[in-house]
Amino acid sequence: MLLTLMLAVAGAISIIEFRWLTNSVESLIQDNYKSIEASKSMLEALEREDSGILLLMLGEWQEGTTIIQAADSSFMEALKIAENNLTEENEDKYINKIKENYTQFKENWQRPIAETDKQGNLLWYKNESHKLFANTKNAVTEIMNLNQKSMYKEASELKEKSKRAIMHGIVSILAALIFSLLLNFFITRYFVRPISQLNNAILQLQDGEYQLDVRINSNDEIKMLEKNINKLLNRIKQTS
Amino acid sequence: MKKQIIIKHIGYVFLFNGIFLFISFLISFFLKESSVLPLLFSSFLCGIFGIFPLIFVERTENLSYEEGLIIVVFGWITTCLIGILPYIMWGGEFTIANAWFESVSGFTTTGSTILNNIEALPKGLLFWRSSTHWIGGIGIILFVLLILPQARGNRISIYNTEISSLSKLNFRVKTKKIAQILAIVYLSLTVAQTTLLMVFGMNFFDAINHSFATIATGGFSTKNLSIAAYKSLNIEVIIMIFMVLSGIHFGLLYGTFTGSRENIFRSPLVRTFILVLLIGIVLVSLKLYYSGYFNWWESVRYASFQVISVGTTTGFATIDTANWPIFTQMVLIYFTIQCAMAGSTSGGLKFDRIYIFFRSLAKQMKVLKHPFGIFSTKINGKKIDEKLEEQTIVFIALYIVIFFISSTLLTFMDIDGMTAFSASITTIGNVGPGFGGVSSLGNFANLPDLAKYLLSINMLLGRLEIFTILALFTIKK
Repeated sequence: MLLTLMLAVAGAISIIEFRWLTNSVESLIQDNYKSIEASKSMLEALEREDSGILLLMLGEWQEGTTIIQAADSSFMEALKIAENNLTEENEDKYINKIKENYTQFKENWQRPIAETDKQGNLLWYKNESHKLFANTKNAVTEIMNLNQKSMYKEASELKEKSKRAIMHGIVSILAALIFSLLLNFFITRYFVRPISQLNNAILQLQDGEYQLDVRINSNDEIKMLEKNINKLLNRIKQTS
Repeated sequence: MKKQIIIKHIGYVFLFNGIFLFISFLISFFLKESSVLPLLFSSFLCGIFGIFPLIFVERTENLSYEEGLIIVVFGWITTCLIGILPYIMWGGEFTIANAWFESVSGFTTTGSTILNNIEALPKGLLFWRSSTHWIGGIGIILFVLLILPQARGNRISIYNTEISSLSKLNFRVKTKKIAQILAIVYLSLTVAQTTLLMVFGMNFFDAINHSFATIATGGFSTKNLSIAAYKSLNIEVIIMIFMVLSGIHFGLLYGTFTGSRENIFRSPLVRTFILVLLIGIVLVSLKLYYSGYFNWWESVRYASFQVISVGTTTGFATIDTANWPIFTQMVLIYFTIQCAMAGSTSGGLKFDRIYIFFRSLAKQMKVLKHPFGIFSTKINGKKIDEKLEEQTIVFIALYIVIFFISSTLLTFMDIDGMTAFSASITTIGNVGPGFGGVSSLGNFANLPDLAKYLLSINMLLGRLEIFTILALFTIKK
């Protein structure tokens, strides 16, 4: 009964720990991994937009515009994912920063570049366009780092939790083992041994002997049995 | 030998620990901490293992000396094993070796730690950590005998092994009375210190934890910086007073409070103990001041706290002594060897043995001068049994041998000389901090696992007075 209770409690604790573990894994994937992936897509889109700008500067209007527009839509898509997955403290502020910087960057490439004074103007690229690109990129990197740090923290806790769940299991197995040995000792000491002593004494009872040669020290039913057998023997003695 | 009686008494050990584990669980539960389940499961296990033998084992059987001996030794080992349960199930810095070291250090009231960041521990676990000191301090076995009347008439055998036989030297009363006296003094000191610490600005949780650690002469703090974290002279003074009180024979403290003839003011041992502490403080203060470490005031303040902390085997710290002049470190090492008085909660060699040793030395000098004279060693006018004198000398020699062996084994593990030397002596003396890599504000985390196990044996030997463990090997089946 106690053994079952002990194992049940240990099992329940292990289940709770493992449920926490599962929840942690889920939150790890849901909360941080999604945002990290979105940030990576944003960074890639930004790089492509930057290349598009360079193509526009070279006068490749058609190719440059196609690349920029495709990259813009993937950036906006990724930004939406990140915006809908606010899990960390102040993450909304980081998103607003990305939006602000990206709006400025977008305004920069939305104005005509090819066939204007900006075409081939490396100084304009360095001082204006690249600066806005770098600011946006930094804002995206910041949100990525935030999620990466949190993911690392969560992973460390996960490791801790799994260790805890295993330890509960090990402790309960060992405790159950020791407990069963103790139980075995007590049952042998208080039940098995006296009964076998009683049994041996009855078997060794010689003809004409009316007293069991056994000493039961306990004060329970087995002692009563010994007394009653002796009473029975006494009655047999009187009748014979 | 009746195994069931031994198991039953070890069951009491489980139950007693279970109560403290449950209180720790309640703390964690109300504060919604991560240690809720480890503490709950540990207290549940203690409850089951404690109650179970009570169901089977009859009340009437008596204890023999051998059984008492086995209960004491295995009681301590079992309690240390119980102590590791919440640690290993909680995790963090607690590997199995670390948890074992921390548990043994707690129950033996040593106070050495493997934790780099104590403050990262949940409050429930911190309370359990301090409780190990408190439980260890009074000696679970003694508690068990006091609470449970079954062993009436058979207490003396256990008493002799748990408490040094020297404790009877200047306080001769019946064993049961001693058990009650110890409990009353122990509880009163804990309550008094907690109240005073709270009056002087410590919060209730910290106050009770530090009181547990002080009265048990342990040294576990709830802060990484130990007592230095509070930057409060009042708190330091209160802790110093209670450290000294906890280093004195509890029976004498009781005698003092109740106006008995056997009190701390009449005892030559107490007088000498305090005098030696004062000499230590003066020497350390002078060296610190003249070496230009601190001004006069700071030198006295730091020296007083460190000398008392080490001299009473507590091990709290207000400063890191690892950078102090080597002379001051040597003085502190002397106190680490000397330890506090028998009959207190301190372990190790004990001041009484050093006292008897010097008295014995004086007698030998007289014998050298007058080879045919008959001399005896006396304390407070009472003659000391020659057997006790002989046992004391053998004990000191054995203490040195164990210390030498463990230091040598530590250096085999590539631990530097000062760390090995001080770690050995501080663990066998149940003091806590050492020097080198294991200084007063440092910890034992960086030592190899094998060294941690070796030092935990030292702690147990120091707590159980060596002879108790040796006597165990002389028992016939």
